[in-house]
Amino acid sequence: MPKSQIVEPAEERKAGILPFAEIPLNQYQQDLAKEKENYGPDALVGMYEDMLLIREFESMLQSIKTQGSYEGIEYDHKGPAHLSIGQEASAVGQAFLLEVDDHILGSHRSHGEILAKGMSSIRKLDDDSLLNIMENFLDGDCYRVVEKEESSCVKDLARNFLLYGALAEIFGRSNGFNRGLGGSMHAFFPPFGILPNNAIVGGSADIAMGASLFKKVNRKSGIVISNIGDASMGCGPTWEAMNFASMRQFKELWESSMRGGLPIIFNFMNNFYGMGGQTAGETMAFDCLARVGAGVNPESMHAERVDGYNPLAVVDAIKRKKALLESGKGPVLLETITYRFSGHSPSDASSYRLKEEIDAWQAIDPLVAYAQELIDEGLLTEDAIAENKTDVTKAMTQAFRLASDLEVSPRLDSEKIGDLMFSKRKRESYAPDREPELILPAAENPRVLALAKKSRAGVVDGKPVSKNKVFQYRDAIFEAAFHRFQKDPTLVAYGEENRDWGGAFACYRGLTESLPYHRLFNSPISEAAIVGSAVGYALEGGRALVELMYCDFMGRAGDEIFNQLAKWQSMSACILEMPVVLRVSVGSKYGAQHSQDWCAMVSHIPGLQVVFPSTPYDAKGMLNTALAGSDPVIFFESQRLYDIGELFEKEVPADYYEVPFGPPAQRRTGKDITLITVGATMYRALEAADILEQKYGLTADVFDCRSINPLDYDPLIKSVRKTGKVLLSSDACERGSVMQDIASNISQLAFDDLDAPPVVVGSRNWITPCAEVENDFFPQPSWMLDAIHERIIPLSGHQLSSNPTTGELLRRQRAGI
Amino acid sequence: MATPIIMPRQGQSVESCILTEWKVNPGDEVAEGDVLAVIETDKASFDLESTASGTILELFWEADDDVPVLANVAVVGEEGEEVSEFRPADSSPAQPEAPSASAAAVASVDAQSSTPSAASVEISPHSTTSSGVSPRARKLASSRGLDAEIIIGSGPGGRVIERDVEAFLAGRPSLSASARVRALADGLEPPLRGSGLAGMALAGDMRVPGSIEGAETQPVKGIRKVIAERMMQSLQSTAQLTLHSSFELTMAQAYRKQRLADGKSKVSLNDLIAHAIIECLKVHPEMNAHFLGDRIAVFEKVHLGVAVDTPRGLLVPVIRDSSDMSIEGLSSEIKKLASSCREGTIPPDDLAGGSFTLTNLGMLGVETFTPVLNAPEIAILGVGGIVLKPKRSASDEVTYADYLPLSLTIDHQAIDGAPAARFLQSLVFHLETNPGQPFSQPNE
Repeated sequence: MPKSQIVEPAEERKAGILPFAEIPLNQYQQDLAKEKENYGPDALVGMYEDMLLIREFESMLQSIKTQGSYEGIEYDHKGPAHLSIGQEASAVGQAFLLEVDDHILGSHRSHGEILAKGMSSIRKLDDDSLLNIMENFLDGDCYRVVEKEESSCVKDLARNFLLYGALAEIFGRSNGFNRGLGGSMHAFFPPFGILPNNAIVGGSADIAMGASLFKKVNRKSGIVISNIGDASMGCGPTWEAMNFASMRQFKELWESSMRGGLPIIFNFMNNFYGMGGQTAGETMAFDCLARVGAGVNPESMHAERVDGYNPLAVVDAIKRKKALLESGKGPVLLETITYRFSGHSPSDASSYRLKEEIDAWQAIDPLVAYAQELIDEGLLTEDAIAENKTDVTKAMTQAFRLASDLEVSPRLDSEKIGDLMFSKRKRESYAPDREPELILPAAENPRVLALAKKSRAGVVDGKPVSKNKVFQYRDAIFEAAFHRFQKDPTLVAYGEENRDWGGAFACYRGLTESLPYHRLFNSPISEAAIVGSAVGYALEGGRALVELMYCDFMGRAGDEIFNQLAKWQSMSACILEMPVVLRVSVGSKYGAQHSQDWCAMVSHIPGLQVVFPSTPYDAKGMLNTALAGSDPVIFFESQRLYDIGELFEKEVPADYYEVPFGPPAQRRTGKDITLITVGATMYRALEAADILEQKYGLTADVFDCRSINPLDYDPLIKSVRKTGKVLLSSDACERGSVMQDIASNISQLAFDDLDAPPVVVGSRNWITPCAEVENDFFPQPSWMLDAIHERIIPLSGHQLSSNPTTGELLRRQRAGI
Repeated sequence: MATPIIMPRQGQSVESCILTEWKVNPGDEVAEGDVLAVIETDKASFDLESTASGTILELFWEADDDVPVLANVAVVGEEGEEVSEFRPADSSPAQPEAPSASAAAVASVDAQSSTPSAASVEISPHSTTSSGVSPRARKLASSRGLDAEIIIGSGPGGRVIERDVEAFLAGRPSLSASARVRALADGLEPPLRGSGLAGMALAGDMRVPGSIEGAETQPVKGIRKVIAERMMQSLQSTAQLTLHSSFELTMAQAYRKQRLADGKSKVSLNDLIAHAIIECLKVHPEMNAHFLGDRIAVFEKVHLGVAVDTPRGLLVPVIRDSSDMSIEGLSSEIKKLASSCREGTIPPDDLAGGSFTLTNLGMLGVETFTPVLNAPEIAILGVGGIVLKPKRSASDEVTYADYLPLSLTIDHQAIDGAPAARFLQSLVFHLETNPGQPFSQPNE
C-alpha cells in the first residue's frame, strides 16, 4: 500500500451507518413522440427491423435444430444453438447508440447481440468503410460468397455479409467469421466492435474489464460492455472483475489525466434462468440483481434495472450510462431484464417453468408490442411489416443456403488447426506510433544505476561472486521487463504487490520509479481477474505482463488460463493475438499451498507456450523473447533461484538478446548417462553428476528443459542415443509430471538405443511438508543416484538412501501416493 | 520364360538340405540336366540338376545355407527377366535388398516413420525374446553378430545392458554385413582379427565359437551332427553290454576257396558274417528287434544295417529284407550300397529302417572293440581283425589257427546276457561248421 494513504484508527473506528447510493428500477417513461424527435422515425423503425432480423435468425436455427430444415432446405447442424428468442429488444436497444469503437463481449447466448451490434455498426459506417472491411476481412473469403448474390445497396450487402459470416461460423465453415473455429458460442467480428463471446458463464466479465483497461490506459475512445447472464453473478471472476474495475486507486492514485474507474458496463442480461435454475427465487441471494452494485463501490456502480422488453428503455439507459463512463465515473452495473421463450438449448423441455409464465411474457412480446406502438404512431403499417418479413426471410434463406452448402462453404482442413494454435508473430511494439510513457528516464533509474556496478558473471577467477555483488536472476527479469516498457507503449504490468513492494521477490524493484501508475500497478488479490483482464487487454491490442505470486494460486485463475488465455488465438483463427506473459513463481519452504510446480497443468493445455528458465542468462533472454512475441507465455520462475548469478554463460549481456523457445540448454557434456531437468532441479542434477563422475567414473550430459512447450527433442535424443541411459527430474510431483511426458516420448524416439527405461525422479506424491523436512519431499541428488543404481546401471559400492525399487513404485501407485 | 529351380525332396523324412557348393554362377548358360550345385542331407550328398535350359538369372542361397525342400534355389531364363516373384522369403542373399524393398512399399509415408511391412519380417533363428536384455544391448550385440541372450547381465535384475555386451565383445573385430548374417544364422563368431579392412571380419572369417588357436575348428553339422546326436542318444538311452567271442576261420576260408574253385562269385568274410547273422537270427528272432521304451518290436524279416566308413563319416545303409536273399544277392547288395555311400549318392530312405547292424573294423587292424548300438536296435555285432590263436584238438594236440574276434553289444533293457550269449554261440558254431549255408542245429 502506498505511503501516501494513511489508515487512521480514529476514522476507521468511528460509529455510524453506511448509506448506499439508490438503485433505480425501470424508471424509464415512454414518450414515443419525443423519441421520434430524438432519433428520427427511420431509426425507430430500423430497431424493429433489427429485432425482426434476430427473431428470424434464431427461429431459423430453432427450425434447423428441431425440424432439420428451414424454408425447404434440409440441414443437420450437430453443434450447439443457445437461442435468444424473446430477448431481441434488449440486444437491439443496447446496440442502438453504440459507436463502432464501443465494444461488446458476450456469452453463449449472443447471436442476437452479434446481429444487433453488427446492424448498428453497418448503419453507422459509410459505404467505403463497409466495403473496405468486407473485402479485407479474412482475405475477403466471406465477402466473395455474398458479393455474387443479389443485393440492393452496400448496406444490404453488408447485412447479407453479417448473416452469412455469423451463420457460416455457427456451422463451422472456413468462410465463417472465425474460420469456423469458434462456432455458435464464440463467434465475433472485431471490425463491427463485436469482441469474443464466451461459452464459459461469466467468462466475458474479466476479459471485458481488461478490454476497458486497455481503452483507458491507451487513451482510446469508446466503452466496453460485458454482456453476461444473471447466473454469472454467481461466478467469482465476475465479482473480481467488478471490483477490479472499481479499484480506488483509479480515483486516488492514478495521474489526473487517467483518473476514474474503467469505462465498462457490466450488463447482466437477466432472463431469470441460469440454464434451468431460477436465479431470483432459487439459486441467487440478490432478489433483484442490480442490488449487487451497492456492495461494490460507494456509487453502487450506478446500478439500475432497465426493462429489456422495451427497446427504448434500453436505449435510454445506455445513453445515460455511456455518458457516465465517458466522464470517468465507471464502471456501471446494468441489469437488463428480459425473457427467452425458447429453451436454454433445443434439448430443453422447460420442465422448470410454467407454461403460464412463458405465455405471460409472450403476451408482451416486444416484436408485437413495439410494432404496434410504431403503427399507432403512424411510423409503420401492416403492409410494411409483411414486406419486411418477406425481405428478412429471403435474406435468411440466402445466408442459410450459402452457409449449409459444403461447396460454397467448405470446412477448414483439420490439419490447419495446428497452424493456428499460435500466431508466432514478432512485435517490437503494439503502438509503434506512440512514445512509451515513463516518469523517470532509464538512465536515471536507481536500479539501472545499481546494476551497472554488479558483476554480470557469476564466477570470476574461478570463484563464485558474492550474492551482493552478482547480477542476479531477479535482475535479469527486471532488465527484460524494463527493456520492453521502453519499447512498447501498450505494455502494462500488474499483479499482487507489483508496485511499491517491487514485486514480492524484488524483480520489479526500480520499475516504480520509472513507470506511471497506469503502466504498473498493484492489482487486487484476484488471480482470475488478473489473468482474465490480461486476456481482454491483449485482444483489444495491447501487451500485458501479469503475475501470479505463487504457482499454487494458478487454480484461482484456472478458467482464465486454461480456457481463455490458451484458446482465443486459435478460436479466432489467429485474427486475435494474445501477447500475454504470465509470470508464475514456484515456491518452496512455505508448505503445501506455496511450493508446487504445476508446469504439467499448463503444458497439457494446447495453445500455451510454457518456459521455465533456471539461469539469469536464460531468464533475461527468454523474457525478452516472450515480450517480443504475439503468443501467450506461461513464464515459470523458481524462488530458489532469484538470488543466483550466472554460472554457465560467460556473463549476462547488458544489451538486448533473445533466447529462442524450443531448444533445451546443455549444462554439461558427458558420455555415460543423460540427465534431463526442468527448473531449479537442474542444480541438484549437477551435484548428482559430480558424484557420478568422482565416485563412479560416469560422466553425464545434463540438459535443462528451459522451454517445455515448444520443446526441441533433437538434442535430447542425440544424447540418449549416445548414452543409452536417461534420468529425468523436476520438483513437480512425480505422477503426471512434464518429465513423465518427456520420458514417454524419449522411449518412443530412442527405444532401440535405450539401455534401461527412462527413469523419472520427481517430488513425492504428497503435500509439501514443512521447510525443515522438505528434503524428504523434493528430489535430492542422492535420490537420483539411487534411481540410477537401482533401475538403470548398478553403481559399484553404492549405498541406497531411498527406496527406488520397482516394487516400491508399484506399492506407491497402488496406494495412490 | 524364367523357370525356378527347386530344392528336391530327398526322401520322405527330409525337410531341408545343405547347399554345399554352387557349380554355376549367375549369367552362366546351362542346359537341362546340367549340375547346378551339390546338396547334402544329413545322410548323403547329391547333385542338383537343372530342370530348365537358359541363363542363370539369380542364385537365391549361399553355399552352406540350409535350404528347405521345395524352396526355390535359383532361376533359369533369359537375361533381363524379372526374378523377384521367385525369391524365397528367407533366403540369405535377399537380405540386402529386403529393407529397400519394404521402404519402397511405404514410400508415401514419412521416411523416418516407415516401419517394415509385414512382407519383410525377418525370421531369425534367435527370435526368442527375453525381457532381460536392454534394447541397446540387443542392438549392439546384433551389430556385432552376437546373440545377447547368451550373456550374463549385470544390470538391474540381471538385465543384460550395454556394458555386458561390450565386455563380451572386448577384443572382437567389427563384422561386415554378410559376416553378421552368417553369425546370426549359423552361430559363428569372428576371429580376434578379421581379414578385411582394419581387421573387419568378413563372412569367410567366421568360425565356430570356441575356436582354438592352432587347431582348425569345423562346425558340427550335417552327417557329423546326426552321428553325434545318435551316438550320444544311444549311450544315454540304452543299457549296453558287450560280449566277446571269436570263431575259427578255417571253414569260412575253405568255403570261399571252394566257391572260387567252383567258378562262383567272390564273397568276402564280411559277407559271410552278414549271412551268418541273418541265418542265426532266424533261430534267435528275439535279437532282431527294436527296444521302444514301453514295448519291444521283433521283426519278421531281417533288415541288416552295414556300417560303412565314408569321407563324410559313418553311414549305415540298410539291406531291406535281407533274410530273403541268397549269399550272392546279399554280397552284391552290400557292395552296391557301400559304394553309393562312399560316393554320397545313397538315397536317404536306404539309410533308415535297420533291425540289426554289422560293423567291421578288422581291416584296420583292430582286434576287438565294443560297438555302440544303433538304437533302437537292440544288438550290433562288431568284427575285429584276424588273430592267430592256439587251439587244442580232440587228440589234445595244440595247434594254431586263424580266428576272427566278434563283439556283440546288446541293450540289456531288451535282452539278457545269456540269450545274447546263446546267439553268439550259434553264430560262432555256424561260421565254424557251416558258413554260407542255411543254419543247422549242432548235433547234440
